[in-house]
Amino acid sequence: MHVIETAALTRRFGAVTALDALDLAVPPGITGLVGANGAGKSTLIRILLGLLPPTAGAARVLGFDVAEDGPALRQFVGYMPEHDCLPGDVSATEFIAHLARVSGLPAAAARERTAETLRHVGLFEERYREIRGYSTGMKQRAKLAQALVHDPRLLFLDEPTNGLDPAGRDDMLDLVRRTGREFGISIVMASHLLGEIERVCDNVVVIDGGRLLRQGPIAEFTAATGTLAVEIEGDAGPLAAALEARGYPARREGRIILLPADGDAALDAIRDACADLGVGLVRLEHRRQALEDLFRAPQEAADAAR
Amino acid sequence: MSDSPAPAIELRAVSRWYGNVVAVNDVSFEVGPGITGLLGPNGAGKSTILHMMAGLLRPSAGEVRILGQPAWRNPAIYRSVGLVPEREAVYGFLSGREFVELAARLHRLPDPARAAARAIDLVEMGSAASRPCGGYSKGMKQRIKIAAALVHDPQVLVLDEPFNGADPRQRLHLMDLFRSMAAEGRTILYSSHILEEVERIADTVLVIVAGRLAASGDYRSIRALMTDRPHTFIVRSSNDRALAARLLDEPAIHGLAFEDGRLEVRARELLAAARALPAAARAAGVTLYEVRPTDESLESVFSYLVRR
Repeated sequence: MHVIETAALTRRFGAVTALDALDLAVPPGITGLVGANGAGKSTLIRILLGLLPPTAGAARVLGFDVAEDGPALRQFVGYMPEHDCLPGDVSATEFIAHLARVSGLPAAAARERTAETLRHVGLFEERYREIRGYSTGMKQRAKLAQALVHDPRLLFLDEPTNGLDPAGRDDMLDLVRRTGREFGISIVMASHLLGEIERVCDNVVVIDGGRLLRQGPIAEFTAATGTLAVEIEGDAGPLAAALEARGYPARREGRIILLPADGDAALDAIRDACADLGVGLVRLEHRRQALEDLFRAPQEAADAAR
Repeated sequence: MSDSPAPAIELRAVSRWYGNVVAVNDVSFEVGPGITGLLGPNGAGKSTILHMMAGLLRPSAGEVRILGQPAWRNPAIYRSVGLVPEREAVYGFLSGREFVELAARLHRLPDPARAAARAIDLVEMGSAASRPCGGYSKGMKQRIKIAAALVHDPQVLVLDEPFNGADPRQRLHLMDLFRSMAAEGRTILYSSHILEEVERIADTVLVIVAGRLAASGDYRSIRALMTDRPHTFIVRSSNDRALAARLLDEPAIHGLAFEDGRLEVRARELLAAARALPAAARAAGVTLYEVRPTDESLESVFSYLVRR
């Protein structure tokens, strides 16, 4: 069963078509939502939350029709917006307990859920301080907590790592992964950082200009290509020449040598050439496709995949 | 330190404090042509350093020099430096073109319209240049800011998280733009948190931790200096156990383990282990399918520097 299904979903703003006959089928798990700026990601999220009616077509989220059952649907979905949406003059505890009450939890349950959720996202002593003094990382955690406090079955995260430094990014991605895997909450995560999507997502949806470009399991986008990539310590020139001499067309790309993956013979040729020349073999692997290839010009993408 | 020619960017024992808060603490480095990444956790002092380079902030101690000239109280350097600040420093009521032309006129360029058109072309904003900046997406604002910083064709470009808000295609385009500018001999220094991108385009990195310079240079050389951290490879081969048995004889190898059905090879020195591997595989008659270092990326170098 899919958590999100759309059929010919279309949304126009005057003369601008933000979403153009979009057919999605998103399975449970963690799904990356990728697209150019202005591709219609935010419009899509707002429609899937039941906040914005589609111009044409239909969308079902967790089985609810977004146009008809918005209020019922929103009991079961959580949303972490991209922009700074937190009030400055209350503490995270007060704010999130308030939102838990708004979601219909009784006061005592709201308090308990708030404490649990804040611990899950990693806000401890800070939770009693005013939000205005929070760092970017703490604000992102508070935003995630408010999306989780009513125990949703599906979570929409819009650029959850925006503004975070490397350690903060790792923590947030780890939190997203744990929330998805350990709590079994399905997650749709929009991000421009394709490396992040490759790291945490099971599936990916790519939209471009309001249309569906690709959707499917992440493995389909990162499959091995027919190219071996070899990185050695030092100058790659002699090794490339030695491989050429053995009849393997070697291309150089900076420090890396690329050659066609031609079974064990090619692998053994690399091994032997390195051993003969006494050069250090730092890396030997099948080059993989990357999500990024979808965004390159066709010729560049062909070069990268070769 | 050589006398000639002057480095594009030079910090000499620079500190900057705000009251009792020390943002930058006795930092010295030089940056030459090419692309340099400025890395550090939030609050480490990166933006303060960038603003001092652009001549917008006075160092509390020490000196910042751009192409041999002091950066502070020296408007002449504005002609050779372009700064892209992190904040949304655009006027919503101006069109993109007006905003870039304003920058051109502030530099008293002879033909502001032409300079602006050229800069707007470089960032591929031509189609949106007549619209007000207020309606731009984050990625578009970012690109129009870069156009304004480029309008006077500066020798030194200083950017504070320039990829922020850019989508995948725009990121690829900006990376290409930086690469081609660096190839023309310009100096590009940019701060970023996206280490896998820095790794791809920067020749050198500067790592700032708590206001101090923690490391600088090619990150691979920085990694090589961390002798207390063993180097680890994951190896897949036609016969892992035969290869492991052969590797045991190699003095360069100091640890072998089978983890999740893969052979893990540990060594104190990367180069010695990388040399031993192909030779040992050949001697054992084993085909190497995959060799992958697990701890050599900029990401692991950075996390060691920050944790310390």
